[in-house]
Amino acid sequence: MNIQTTNRLTVAEAALVEAYNEQLSDLPGDGAVFAARDRLLDDLKTGGLPTRRIETWHYTDLKSLLRNVPARDRRAVAEATAPLVAGSEVLVVRQGVADLRSNVDAFEIRRYAESLIDGSAAAGLTALDFDDAIGRINGSFVRDGFVLDIPADAELKAPIELQVSHGAGQVHTRFPVNFGAGSKATVIERHRAVSENAAFVSTISDIALHDGAEITWIIFQSQGEFDTHLGQIRVNLGKDAKLRLFVINAGGKLVRQEIQISVTGEGADLTLRGINLLGGDTHTDVTLNLGHNVPHTTSTEIVRNVVFDRAKGVFQGMIRVAPDAQKTDARMACNTLLMTDDGEFAVKPELEIFADDVQCGHGATVADIDDNHLYYLMARGIPESKARAMLVNAFVDEIVEELEDEALVEALEDVIATWLEKHA
Amino acid sequence: MAAVQETIDQVRQIDVDQYKYGFETEIEVDKAPKGLSEDIIRFISAKKEEPEWMLEWRLEAYRRWLTLEEPSWARVHYPKIDFNDLYYYAAPKGTTGPKSIDEVDPEILKVYEKLGIPLREQEILAGVQKSKIAVDAVFDSVSVVTTFKEELKKAGVIFMSISEAIREHPDLVRKYLGSVVPTTDNFYATLNSAVFTDGSFVFVPKGVRCPMELSTYFRINEKNTGQFERTLIIAEEGAYVSYLEGCTAPQRDENQLHAAVVELVALDEAEIKYSTVQNWYPGDKEGKGGIYNFVTKRGDCRGKNSKISWTQVETGSAITWKYPSCILRGDGSRGEFYSIAVSNGHQQIDSGTKMIHLGKNTSSRIISKGIAAGFSENTYRGQVSTHRKAENARNFTQCDSLLIGDKCGAHTVPYIEARNSSAHFEHEATTSKISEDQLFYCLQRGIPEEAAIALIVNGFVREVIQELPMEFAVEAQKLINISLEGSVG
Amino acid sequence: MLEIRNLHARIAEDGTEIIRGLNLTVKAGEVAAIMGPNGSGKSTLSYVLSGREDYEVTEGDILYNGESILELDAAERAAKGLFLAFQYPVEIPGVATMQFLKVAMNEQRKARGEDELTTPDFMRRVKEAAAKLQINTEMLKRPLNVGFSGGEKKRAEILQMALLEPSLCILDETDSGLDIDALKIVADGVNALRSPDRAVIVITHYQRLLEYIVPDSVHVLYKGQVIKSGGKELALELESNGYADIIDAAA
Repeated sequence: MNIQTTNRLTVAEAALVEAYNEQLSDLPGDGAVFAARDRLLDDLKTGGLPTRRIETWHYTDLKSLLRNVPARDRRAVAEATAPLVAGSEVLVVRQGVADLRSNVDAFEIRRYAESLIDGSAAAGLTALDFDDAIGRINGSFVRDGFVLDIPADAELKAPIELQVSHGAGQVHTRFPVNFGAGSKATVIERHRAVSENAAFVSTISDIALHDGAEITWIIFQSQGEFDTHLGQIRVNLGKDAKLRLFVINAGGKLVRQEIQISVTGEGADLTLRGINLLGGDTHTDVTLNLGHNVPHTTSTEIVRNVVFDRAKGVFQGMIRVAPDAQKTDARMACNTLLMTDDGEFAVKPELEIFADDVQCGHGATVADIDDNHLYYLMARGIPESKARAMLVNAFVDEIVEELEDEALVEALEDVIATWLEKHA
Repeated sequence: MAAVQETIDQVRQIDVDQYKYGFETEIEVDKAPKGLSEDIIRFISAKKEEPEWMLEWRLEAYRRWLTLEEPSWARVHYPKIDFNDLYYYAAPKGTTGPKSIDEVDPEILKVYEKLGIPLREQEILAGVQKSKIAVDAVFDSVSVVTTFKEELKKAGVIFMSISEAIREHPDLVRKYLGSVVPTTDNFYATLNSAVFTDGSFVFVPKGVRCPMELSTYFRINEKNTGQFERTLIIAEEGAYVSYLEGCTAPQRDENQLHAAVVELVALDEAEIKYSTVQNWYPGDKEGKGGIYNFVTKRGDCRGKNSKISWTQVETGSAITWKYPSCILRGDGSRGEFYSIAVSNGHQQIDSGTKMIHLGKNTSSRIISKGIAAGFSENTYRGQVSTHRKAENARNFTQCDSLLIGDKCGAHTVPYIEARNSSAHFEHEATTSKISEDQLFYCLQRGIPEEAAIALIVNGFVREVIQELPMEFAVEAQKLINISLEGSVG
Repeated sequence: MLEIRNLHARIAEDGTEIIRGLNLTVKAGEVAAIMGPNGSGKSTLSYVLSGREDYEVTEGDILYNGESILELDAAERAAKGLFLAFQYPVEIPGVATMQFLKVAMNEQRKARGEDELTTPDFMRRVKEAAAKLQINTEMLKRPLNVGFSGGEKKRAEILQMALLEPSLCILDETDSGLDIDALKIVADGVNALRSPDRAVIVITHYQRLLEYIVPDSVHVLYKGQVIKSGGKELALELESNGYADIIDAAA
C-alpha cells in the first residue's frame, strides 16, 4: 500500500488545502458532487502528494517538485486563438470557464459545470487508485469543461478543437466524451498559456469509444514556462474500436500527462504516438497505463523524445495483459535523443503479462544524433547546426506523418519547427 | 490446440517432488538460542573468534537494522517474517571452522557426495577435458572444508572461508569488507552484516590468473535456521578469477530465510566471472515451504578496464529477490549480466540487475531469459543508469520471457536513466509462448512433445548457458529441464 | 501406400470445413502432384495428413500402408515414415540445426525400437547428405532456419528428408521463393530419393516444379475435393488453360 501519513503538509499541499477552502463558496456542484470533492481532498490531505517511493511516480516526485501552487486568479483573462487546423469546430474554455455560445448540429454538447450543478458528474469524480493524484486534484477543483456525445455512426468531417487557454492562477477542466458506435471523429485537446504568469492546471478527458468507433485524439500541450500541467486521459475501448492517440508536449515547467487506457472490447486497437520536445529547466512526464483486458486486441506505442538544455523527461509505459486476454499483440518503443549532457531522460517500459498466448514487446533506445547521418549531410555541404536540426526534425517528423490528415500533419509540423527554432 | 492444453495440465500437476536434493541429514549441532539480539551477535562473533573491530562492525549494522523497514517494492508476496523466531547460528557439533577433509564428520561428507560435489582433491571429468575445481563447503552457518588451498596458495591465491580470513588476513578483509555493499545498504544487507556466519573469501593478487575454478557449495540443513553467507572476492590489477556457487536445501514445510551478501572488487585490468546455480528448495506444489532467497550481490569495477560478469541460473527458492549489479567506476570498465530464471509451482522471482555507469567509456550487457510455468510469478527488474560525467556509456539489454500455461505471470520492469548525451542505450524485451508452429515442426520430425519443449526451451536459454564454465553448463541445462519436468523431458 | 477415403476435415477453432470428401490413392514408388488454385485446401491436406491438431477430421479415413493413422499424433506419424517439407519452415532460435537433426533422427529411431546413432556415424551421414545438396556444414551449426535465405530453408528441408529416410514425402509448395538454380538443386535432391518403396506427394500451384520432378499422376484439388486426375500432361494443360475449364466441367 502506498498510503503515507504526513503530519506536516508541504507548502504546495497547504496551498491546495487553502485554495479548496477559499473556493468552496463558488465551486459548482450539488451535494453528491461536494461529497465526492471533500473525499478526494481529504485523501489528498492525508496521503499527501506522491513521492518517488510510489512506483508510478518514481521519476516525478511531485511532493518535492511542486514547490508552490498559485492561488486562483479571478481577474486573469485569456483570449481564444485561431484553431490549429483551419475549419475546426472550436470549443473554447477561457480561464477555466467554458464558453458555449451556440449549439452544434452534429452532436450533443453541454457545459460540464451544468453536470456538476445537477449532480450527474458526481460518479465521475473518482481517483483511479491510491496513486491517482491527478484524479484527486482535478476532482476536488474542477469547475468546467465540455460534455460531448457523438451519436452512433456520425462521421464528423471537421476536427473538434477543445481549446483551453489561461492567463494565470488555477484552471481545472474536464471533458467527458462519448463516441457512439461506428462514429468517426478527430478531436484536438489543446492547452495553452496566454501570459507568462504562473498557472496550475489540471485536466481530465474521460472518453469512451463504443463498438467500431474510429477516433483520432490529439493532446497538444504548450503551456507557459512557469506552468504546472497535470493532465490525464481515461479511455475505454469497446469492441472493434480504433483509437489513434497522439500526445505532443511542447511547453510547461512541470508536466505530467497520464494515459489510462482500458481495452474492454475484442478486436479493439490502440495506436499511441507521443512526441516530447523538452528544453529549458523543465520536467515532463508521460505515463501510460494500458490494460489489455479481453482477447484479440492490439496496440502499438511509439514515443519520441528530444531533450535540450537542462530538461528532464520521463516515459513510463505499463502494458498489462489480463489472464484471459489471449492473442494480445502489444508493441511499444521509446526513443530518445539527448542533445546535451545536462539533460536527462528516464524510461520505464513495463510488461505485466498473465496470459500465455500473446506477443508483447518493448524497445527503448537513448542516443545522440547518429554521427554517420550527420557526416553524410555535412559532406553534402549542409552546415553542422542545420544538419543537426534536420535530423532532429526527421526523428520526430516520422511520427507526425503517420497521421495522414494533411492539414493536421502540416499544423503539427509547424508547431515542431517553431519549437525547434526557439530551442535548438 | 489440444496438445498444448495437455502440456499446461502437466505443468499444473508439477510438484516439486522433482526436487532431488530435498533429503535431510541427522547431524548433531551447536546452535545459538533462537532470536536476534546484541547477545546473539556477540555469541556468533565469539564462536568465530573474531577481533573486536569485527564485533563492533556487526553491532553497528544491527543497530542500524533495527531502524529499517523491510522493502516492499518487489513483486513478491509472503507473510511477515518474524526475525525473532529464527536461529542465527547452527554448526555441526564441534565445528567452528574448516578442517582437513579427514577430520570432517563422515555424515557431512556423505551429504556432499549425495549432492555430487567433489570434496576430495581430485580432477573431475568435464567432457573430454580434465579440470580441477577448488571447493569451499558451507554447511548451515560454517565452512566445513576448503579444498586445494595449498595448491592455490602456491599461485598466491587466497581461498578460504571468510571466518578464517577475518582471523588470518584481517587487513585485507577490513580494507574491502563493506566497501561495495555498505552495512547501510538495504534491509537484508544490513541484517546480513550483523549476523553473517560464513562464506568464502577470495583474493587474487596482481597479475595472477587463478589456476582453477573456485566454487562454494551452500547447504542449509538445520530447521528454522537462517543462512547468512558473506562472500568477498578481490581481484588485484590484471588478475583473473572464475567463481561458482551452488545452493541446495532439504524439503521442509516451513519457509527458511537465506540472506546473503556478495561483494566483488576488480582493480585495474582485472576480471571476475561469477556464476551461480541456485537450486534452493522451492516449496511443494501447494506453495508450502521453500527458501526465501533475499540476496544482495554487487561488483565494483573499481579499476580501469576491469570487468565483472555475473551469470545466474535460478531454478530454486520459493521467493527470489536478487539483483547482481555492477558499479562501472573505472574508465573503460565492463559489466555483464546473464540470467536464466525458471519459475514453476508457486515460486515467485523478482530478479535482475543494476548497471551503474560512472566512468568514461564504460559498457554493459544484459541478457535475461525468464521462463514461467505453473502458478509462478517471474519478474525481471533491471536498472541502467549513467552519471552525468560518464561519457560514451554503452548498454545493450535483451530481456525475453517465455510463458508455459495461462496461470503464471511474466513481468518486465526496466529502469533506464540517461544523463549524458553520449550515452547509447538499447533495450529490447519480448514476451511470448512456445509457438504452435515451432512445436508442430518438431513433432512432424518425430520429436515427441516433451522432448520438443525441452529442445525449444534449451534453445531459448542457450545464449546464457554458453556463459557458464563448461563444467557447469551441462549441469545447469539438466537442472532447467528438471525444474520444468512434466512439460519437458 | 496412401489411401484417403472420403476425407472431411475442418479447422478446429472455428469449424470451417476445408476438406470436403476427398479421395486419393498414392502407390509406393509413385510421385503424385496435387495442384489447385489458392484456397483449394492444398496446405490443409498436408497438415491433416501429418497430424496437425488445429484440424479435425470429421468423416472418412486416411490409410497408410493399410492402417488408419487418424489416432496417431504428429510425432508418431513421423516415426512411421511420414515427412512433410514445409512451405514456410519455422525458425527455432538457439537450437543448432545439427542438434535438431540429431534429436529428430534419434527420437524416430527410438520410436521404431532401433539403436541411437553414434556421433561419428551421425556426422558422416549429415556430411554426405549435405554435400549432395550443396549445403555448407557451417550453416548447420547455425540455429535452425534462423537467418537462412529462402533457398537455404528449402534445401535444409530436403536435407532433413534425406536424413530421416521417410517412405511418404509430402512437399508443400517447395518451389515457392526459389530461383531456378536452387529449384534444380532441390529437385535433384528429391529425385535422388525416388525409389520403388517410397511415395512422394508434390503440392504445387505451378507446373514449373513438375518440369524437374516429373510426376506419375496429377490431381486437381478444388474446394476440398479432387475434381480431376490424370497423367503428367494434365499439369501442362492446366498451365496453358488455367483452372477455370476444369472447374466448370466439374461443376
